[in-house]
Amino acid sequence: MIDLTTLTRLPQVKSAVLSDAAGGLRDASGNVDGEAVAAVTGYLTGALADTGDRLGLGPLQSISFSGRDRASLVLVRGDVVLTTVVEPAAALATVEKTVDAGGE
Amino acid sequence: MEAILQSVLDVAGVSASLVFDGGGRLVAHRGHAVYDRALCEQISLVLVKAVDTVQLQQSDWDSITAQYSDGKLLLRNLGEAGGKSYVLAIIADATLNPSFATVAMRVAANKLKHALTGGSASGLSDTGPGSPPGSSPGSSPGPVSSTPGAAKLSSSGLTWSAAASGSLSRVNVADPASGAFLTRCVKELARHVGPMAKVFVEEAARRVSPEAPFSMAASARLVEDLGGQIEDAKDRMAFMTSLAK
Repeated sequence: MIDLTTLTRLPQVKSAVLSDAAGGLRDASGNVDGEAVAAVTGYLTGALADTGDRLGLGPLQSISFSGRDRASLVLVRGDVVLTTVVEPAAALATVEKTVDAGGE
Repeated sequence: MEAILQSVLDVAGVSASLVFDGGGRLVAHRGHAVYDRALCEQISLVLVKAVDTVQLQQSDWDSITAQYSDGKLLLRNLGEAGGKSYVLAIIADATLNPSFATVAMRVAANKLKHALTGGSASGLSDTGPGSPPGSSPGSSPGPVSSTPGAAKLSSSGLTWSAAASGSLSRVNVADPASGAFLTRCVKELARHVGPMAKVFVEEAARRVSPEAPFSMAASARLVEDLGGQIEDAKDRMAFMTSLAK
Protein backbone atom coordinates (compact mmCIF):
# COMPACT_ATOMS: atom_id res chain seq x y z
CA MET A 1 0.00 0.00 0.00
CA ILE A 2 1.13 3.56 -0.63
CA ASP A 3 2.49 5.29 2.47
CA LEU A 4 1.62 8.97 2.36
CA THR A 5 4.13 9.94 5.03
CA THR A 6 6.97 8.40 3.07
CA LEU A 7 5.73 10.00 -0.08
CA THR A 8 5.54 13.50 1.35
CA ARG A 9 9.12 13.22 2.56
CA LEU A 10 10.10 13.73 -1.04
CA PRO A 11 10.98 17.42 -1.25
CA GLN A 12 9.15 17.81 -4.54
CA VAL A 13 5.87 16.42 -3.18
CA LYS A 14 3.89 19.22 -1.58
CA SER A 15 0.79 17.22 -0.73
CA ALA A 16 -0.72 13.78 -1.14
CA VAL A 17 -4.33 12.65 -0.93
CA LEU A 18 -5.54 9.08 -0.82
CA SER A 19 -9.13 8.58 -1.89
CA ASP A 20 -11.48 6.06 -3.42
CA ALA A 21 -12.86 5.99 -6.93
CA ALA A 22 -16.11 7.56 -5.78
CA GLY A 23 -14.29 10.63 -4.46
CA GLY A 24 -14.31 9.70 -0.79
CA LEU A 25 -11.32 10.81 1.27
CA ARG A 26 -9.20 8.13 2.95
CA ASP A 27 -6.11 10.01 4.03
CA ALA A 28 -4.30 13.24 3.31
CA SER A 29 -0.90 14.67 4.03
CA GLY A 30 0.54 18.12 3.50
CA ASN A 31 -1.18 21.48 3.26
CA VAL A 32 -4.22 20.45 1.26
CA ASP A 33 -8.01 20.34 1.42
CA GLY A 34 -8.19 16.57 1.15
CA GLU A 35 -11.94 16.29 0.76
CA ALA A 36 -12.07 18.79 -2.07
CA VAL A 37 -9.17 17.15 -3.88
CA ALA A 38 -10.69 13.69 -3.42
CA ALA A 39 -14.03 14.85 -4.84
CA VAL A 40 -12.50 16.52 -7.86
CA THR A 41 -10.12 13.64 -8.52
CA GLY A 42 -12.96 11.14 -8.26
CA TYR A 43 -14.84 12.95 -10.98
CA LEU A 44 -11.73 13.29 -13.14
CA THR A 45 -10.78 9.63 -12.95
CA GLY A 46 -14.38 8.68 -13.71
CA ALA A 47 -14.46 10.83 -16.84
CA LEU A 48 -11.12 9.59 -18.13
CA ALA A 49 -11.86 5.96 -17.29
CA ASP A 50 -15.07 6.34 -19.31
CA THR A 51 -13.03 7.78 -22.19
CA GLY A 52 -10.63 4.85 -22.02
CA ASP A 53 -13.52 2.42 -22.18
CA ARG A 54 -14.96 4.09 -25.25
CA LEU A 55 -11.58 4.11 -26.98
CA GLY A 56 -10.61 0.58 -26.03
CA LEU A 57 -7.53 1.73 -24.16
CA GLY A 58 -8.07 -0.54 -21.18
CA PRO A 59 -8.21 0.35 -17.50
CA LEU A 60 -7.00 3.79 -16.41
CA GLN A 61 -3.67 3.63 -14.56
CA SER A 62 -2.59 7.20 -14.02
CA ILE A 63 -3.24 10.82 -14.89
CA SER A 64 -0.75 13.65 -14.80
CA PHE A 65 -1.29 17.30 -15.52
CA SER A 66 1.14 20.13 -15.34
CA GLY A 67 1.39 23.87 -15.62
CA ARG A 68 4.10 26.46 -15.32
CA ASP A 69 5.11 25.91 -11.70
CA ARG A 70 3.54 22.71 -10.48
CA ALA A 71 2.14 19.40 -11.60
CA SER A 72 -0.21 16.78 -10.24
CA LEU A 73 0.06 13.05 -10.45
CA VAL A 74 -2.98 10.83 -9.98
CA LEU A 75 -2.35 7.11 -9.62
CA VAL A 76 -5.24 4.68 -9.89
CA ARG A 77 -4.78 1.30 -8.24
CA GLY A 78 -8.09 -0.52 -8.28
CA ASP A 79 -10.44 1.43 -6.07
CA VAL A 80 -7.63 3.47 -4.54
CA VAL A 81 -6.67 6.82 -6.03
CA LEU A 82 -3.53 8.70 -4.96
CA THR A 83 -3.23 12.37 -5.88
CA THR A 84 0.05 14.21 -5.37
CA VAL A 85 0.98 17.82 -6.06
CA VAL A 86 4.53 18.20 -7.27
CA GLU A 87 6.68 21.32 -7.35
CA PRO A 88 8.46 22.13 -9.55
CA ALA A 89 6.54 20.65 -12.45
CA ALA A 90 9.77 19.31 -13.95
CA ALA A 91 10.08 16.91 -11.00
CA LEU A 92 6.97 15.01 -12.07
CA ALA A 93 8.83 12.15 -13.74
CA THR A 94 11.06 11.66 -10.70
CA VAL A 95 8.11 11.50 -8.34
CA GLU A 96 6.22 9.18 -10.67
CA LYS A 97 9.09 6.71 -10.64
CA THR A 98 9.42 6.90 -6.86
CA VAL A 99 5.70 6.38 -6.32
CA ASP A 100 5.62 3.50 -8.79
CA ALA A 101 8.55 1.83 -7.07
CA GLY A 102 6.96 2.16 -3.65
CA GLY A 103 3.37 1.51 -4.55
CA GLU A 104 3.56 -1.61 -6.61
CA MET B 1 -5.68 22.35 -39.61
CA GLU B 2 -6.20 18.82 -40.86
CA ALA B 3 -2.69 18.82 -42.28
CA ILE B 4 -1.35 19.63 -38.82
CA LEU B 5 -3.37 16.84 -37.26
CA GLN B 6 -2.23 14.48 -39.99
CA SER B 7 1.39 15.18 -39.09
CA VAL B 8 0.62 14.09 -35.54
CA LEU B 9 -1.19 11.02 -36.80
CA ASP B 10 1.95 10.07 -38.72
CA VAL B 11 3.82 9.52 -35.45
CA ALA B 12 4.12 5.79 -34.75
CA GLY B 13 1.55 4.66 -32.22
CA VAL B 14 -0.85 7.57 -32.70
CA SER B 15 -4.35 6.37 -33.54
CA ALA B 16 -6.17 9.69 -33.74
CA SER B 17 -5.65 13.39 -33.20
CA LEU B 18 -8.38 15.91 -32.65
CA VAL B 19 -9.11 19.46 -31.57
CA PHE B 20 -12.16 20.39 -29.53
CA ASP B 21 -13.33 23.63 -28.03
CA GLY B 22 -14.31 24.60 -24.49
CA GLY B 23 -17.90 23.62 -25.16
CA GLY B 24 -16.93 20.06 -26.06
CA ARG B 25 -17.51 20.63 -29.74
CA LEU B 26 -15.24 18.77 -32.14
CA VAL B 27 -13.39 21.27 -34.33
CA ALA B 28 -11.22 18.95 -36.41
CA HIS B 29 -9.96 15.41 -36.33
CA ARG B 30 -7.83 12.87 -38.14
CA GLY B 31 -7.71 9.22 -37.23
CA HIS B 32 -7.62 5.65 -38.28
CA ALA B 33 -10.86 4.13 -39.49
CA VAL B 34 -12.31 3.19 -36.13
CA TYR B 35 -11.84 6.71 -34.77
CA ASP B 36 -14.51 8.27 -36.93
CA ARG B 37 -16.15 11.64 -36.46
CA ALA B 38 -19.01 10.26 -34.37
CA LEU B 39 -16.65 8.66 -31.87
CA CYS B 40 -14.45 11.76 -31.72
CA GLU B 41 -17.51 13.91 -31.06
CA GLN B 42 -18.49 11.65 -28.17
CA ILE B 43 -14.96 11.72 -26.81
CA SER B 44 -14.80 15.51 -27.04
CA LEU B 45 -17.88 15.80 -24.86
CA VAL B 46 -16.35 13.65 -22.15
CA LEU B 47 -12.89 15.14 -22.39
CA VAL B 48 -14.10 18.69 -21.96
CA LYS B 49 -15.53 17.66 -18.60
CA ALA B 50 -12.17 16.23 -17.63
CA VAL B 51 -10.49 19.46 -18.70
CA ASP B 52 -12.97 21.54 -16.68
CA THR B 53 -12.17 19.36 -13.69
CA VAL B 54 -8.41 19.73 -14.07
CA GLN B 55 -8.90 23.49 -14.26
CA LEU B 56 -10.44 23.40 -10.82
CA GLN B 57 -7.13 22.08 -9.51
CA GLN B 58 -4.79 23.90 -11.83
CA SER B 59 -6.13 26.74 -13.91
CA ASP B 60 -2.84 27.24 -15.76
CA TRP B 61 -2.65 23.64 -16.95
CA ASP B 62 -0.60 23.07 -20.06
CA SER B 63 -0.76 19.34 -20.62
CA ILE B 64 -2.68 16.31 -19.37
CA THR B 65 -1.64 12.70 -19.82
CA ALA B 66 -3.83 9.71 -19.06
CA GLN B 67 -2.05 6.38 -19.03
CA TYR B 68 -4.09 3.23 -19.66
CA SER B 69 -3.03 -0.39 -19.73
CA ASP B 70 -3.24 -0.46 -23.53
CA GLY B 71 -2.55 3.10 -24.57
CA LYS B 72 -2.40 6.77 -23.78
CA LEU B 73 -4.45 9.89 -24.08
CA LEU B 74 -2.54 13.16 -24.34
CA LEU B 75 -4.12 16.61 -24.11
CA ARG B 76 -2.49 19.97 -24.69
CA ASN B 77 -3.97 23.35 -23.91
CA LEU B 78 -4.12 25.52 -27.03
CA GLY B 79 -5.34 28.56 -25.12
CA GLU B 80 -8.07 30.89 -26.27
CA ALA B 81 -8.96 32.27 -29.64
CA GLY B 82 -12.03 34.29 -30.51
CA GLY B 83 -13.37 33.95 -26.98
CA LYS B 84 -13.19 30.17 -26.95
CA SER B 85 -10.66 27.79 -25.50
CA TYR B 86 -9.27 24.91 -27.54
CA VAL B 87 -7.59 21.62 -26.69
CA LEU B 88 -5.51 19.26 -28.80
CA ALA B 89 -6.00 15.59 -27.98
CA ILE B 90 -4.05 12.56 -29.13
CA ILE B 91 -5.15 8.96 -28.76
CA ALA B 92 -2.30 6.48 -28.91
CA ASP B 93 -1.63 2.81 -28.41
CA ALA B 94 1.01 1.23 -26.21
CA THR B 95 3.69 1.48 -28.89
CA LEU B 96 3.81 5.27 -28.71
CA ASN B 97 7.24 6.74 -28.05
CA PRO B 98 6.49 9.42 -25.43
CA SER B 99 9.45 11.57 -26.45
CA PHE B 100 8.45 11.63 -30.08
CA ALA B 101 4.87 12.33 -29.11
CA THR B 102 5.87 15.24 -26.90
CA VAL B 103 7.84 16.87 -29.69
CA ALA B 104 5.10 16.26 -32.25
CA MET B 105 2.50 17.73 -29.91
CA ARG B 106 4.55 20.83 -29.23
CA VAL B 107 5.07 21.46 -32.91
CA ALA B 108 1.43 20.80 -33.69
CA ALA B 109 0.23 22.96 -30.79
CA ASN B 110 2.27 25.91 -31.99
CA LYS B 111 0.90 25.58 -35.50
CA LEU B 112 -2.65 25.11 -34.28
CA LYS B 113 -2.43 28.16 -32.03
CA HIS B 114 -1.29 30.16 -35.02
CA ALA B 115 -4.11 28.79 -37.15
CA LEU B 116 -6.69 29.50 -34.47
CA THR B 117 -5.53 32.99 -33.55
CA GLY B 118 -4.94 33.84 -37.19
CA GLY B 119 -8.66 33.43 -37.76
CA SER B 120 -8.10 30.91 -40.52
CA ALA B 121 -11.66 29.67 -40.47
CA SER B 122 -11.03 28.02 -43.80
CA GLY B 123 -8.55 25.74 -42.12
CA LEU B 124 -11.16 24.53 -39.67
CA SER B 125 -12.73 22.31 -42.23
CA ASP B 126 -14.02 19.64 -39.91
CA THR B 127 -16.61 21.71 -38.15
CA GLY B 128 -19.46 20.89 -40.46
CA PRO B 129 -22.42 23.19 -40.88
CA GLY B 130 -23.03 25.61 -38.08
CA SER B 131 -21.15 28.50 -36.61
CA PRO B 132 -17.40 28.42 -37.17
CA PRO B 133 -14.89 28.45 -34.35
CA GLY B 134 -14.12 31.97 -33.32
CA SER B 135 -17.72 33.09 -33.26
CA SER B 136 -18.88 34.92 -30.20
CA PRO B 137 -19.20 32.94 -26.98
CA GLY B 138 -22.59 31.43 -26.52
CA SER B 139 -23.59 31.80 -30.14
CA SER B 140 -22.61 28.29 -31.07
CA PRO B 141 -25.30 25.64 -30.92
CA GLY B 142 -22.80 23.68 -28.87
CA PRO B 143 -23.05 20.13 -27.65
CA VAL B 144 -25.94 18.74 -25.72
CA SER B 145 -24.63 17.41 -22.46
CA SER B 146 -26.11 14.61 -20.43
CA THR B 147 -25.55 16.53 -17.22
CA PRO B 148 -27.32 19.71 -16.22
CA GLY B 149 -24.11 21.27 -15.02
CA ALA B 150 -22.29 20.74 -18.26
CA ALA B 151 -25.24 22.02 -20.23
CA LYS B 152 -25.15 25.13 -18.13
CA LEU B 153 -21.50 25.62 -18.96
CA SER B 154 -22.16 25.30 -22.66
CA SER B 155 -25.04 27.71 -22.64
CA SER B 156 -23.27 30.23 -20.45
CA GLY B 157 -20.42 30.67 -22.88
CA LEU B 158 -18.04 30.94 -19.97
CA THR B 159 -14.44 29.95 -20.46
CA TRP B 160 -11.51 29.77 -18.11
CA SER B 161 -8.64 32.12 -18.51
CA ALA B 162 -5.28 30.42 -18.79
CA ALA B 163 -3.81 33.35 -16.94
CA ALA B 164 -5.95 32.82 -13.89
CA SER B 165 -4.28 31.24 -10.92
CA GLY B 166 -7.01 29.68 -8.90
CA SER B 167 -9.11 32.80 -8.82
CA LEU B 168 -12.35 33.46 -10.60
CA SER B 169 -11.10 35.17 -13.68
CA ARG B 170 -14.49 36.27 -15.02
CA VAL B 171 -15.78 37.95 -11.90
CA ASN B 172 -14.74 41.41 -10.74
CA VAL B 173 -13.95 41.56 -7.05
CA ALA B 174 -13.64 44.56 -4.76
CA ASP B 175 -10.53 43.38 -2.95
CA PRO B 176 -8.27 40.32 -2.51
CA ALA B 177 -10.29 39.07 0.46
CA SER B 178 -13.41 38.91 -1.69
CA GLY B 179 -11.54 36.96 -4.34
CA ALA B 180 -10.22 34.54 -1.75
CA PHE B 181 -13.74 34.04 -0.43
CA LEU B 182 -15.02 33.17 -3.91
CA THR B 183 -12.24 30.64 -4.31
CA ARG B 184 -13.17 29.13 -0.97
CA CYS B 185 -16.80 28.93 -2.08
CA VAL B 186 -15.72 27.02 -5.18
CA LYS B 187 -13.78 24.49 -3.11
CA GLU B 188 -16.61 23.94 -0.68
CA LEU B 189 -19.28 23.76 -3.35
CA ALA B 190 -17.19 21.32 -5.40
CA ARG B 191 -17.64 18.76 -2.63
CA HIS B 192 -21.36 18.72 -3.27
CA VAL B 193 -21.88 19.52 -6.95
CA GLY B 194 -18.58 18.48 -8.50
CA PRO B 195 -16.44 20.31 -11.01
CA MET B 196 -19.14 22.71 -12.15
CA ALA B 197 -18.80 24.55 -8.86
CA LYS B 198 -16.65 27.28 -10.34
CA VAL B 199 -19.26 28.10 -12.96
CA PHE B 200 -22.01 28.15 -10.35
CA VAL B 201 -20.03 30.51 -8.13
CA GLU B 202 -19.29 32.85 -11.01
CA GLU B 203 -22.93 33.04 -11.96
CA ALA B 204 -24.07 33.46 -8.36
CA ALA B 205 -21.55 36.24 -7.74
CA ARG B 206 -22.94 38.12 -10.69
CA ARG B 207 -26.49 37.57 -9.46
CA VAL B 208 -25.90 38.88 -5.94
CA SER B 209 -23.72 41.75 -7.08
CA PRO B 210 -24.81 42.67 -10.59
CA GLU B 211 -23.86 46.32 -10.60
CA ALA B 212 -20.62 46.40 -8.63
CA PRO B 213 -17.57 44.20 -8.09
CA PHE B 214 -18.30 41.38 -5.68
CA SER B 215 -17.41 42.27 -2.10
CA MET B 216 -17.69 40.58 1.27
CA ALA B 217 -20.79 42.65 1.96
CA ALA B 218 -22.61 40.32 -0.43
CA SER B 219 -21.07 37.13 0.98
CA ALA B 220 -24.14 36.07 2.96
CA ARG B 221 -26.39 36.43 -0.07
CA LEU B 222 -23.88 34.52 -2.16
CA VAL B 223 -23.76 31.60 0.28
CA GLU B 224 -27.55 31.51 0.40
CA ASP B 225 -27.75 31.57 -3.38
CA LEU B 226 -25.18 28.79 -3.72
CA GLY B 227 -26.91 26.74 -1.06
CA GLY B 228 -29.88 26.61 -3.40
CA GLN B 229 -27.73 24.68 -5.88
CA ILE B 230 -27.46 21.76 -3.43
CA GLU B 231 -30.51 19.56 -3.40
CA ASP B 232 -29.76 17.50 -0.30
CA ALA B 233 -30.70 19.44 2.83
CA LYS B 234 -27.93 17.91 4.91
CA ASP B 235 -25.31 18.73 2.31
CA ARG B 236 -26.72 22.22 1.94
CA MET B 237 -26.42 22.80 5.68
CA ALA B 238 -22.86 21.42 5.71
CA PHE B 239 -21.94 23.75 2.88
CA MET B 240 -23.40 26.84 4.53
CA THR B 241 -21.86 25.95 7.87
CA SER B 242 -18.41 25.49 6.35
CA LEU B 243 -18.50 28.96 4.86
CA ALA B 244 -19.77 30.54 8.06
CA LYS B 245 -16.53 29.62 9.83
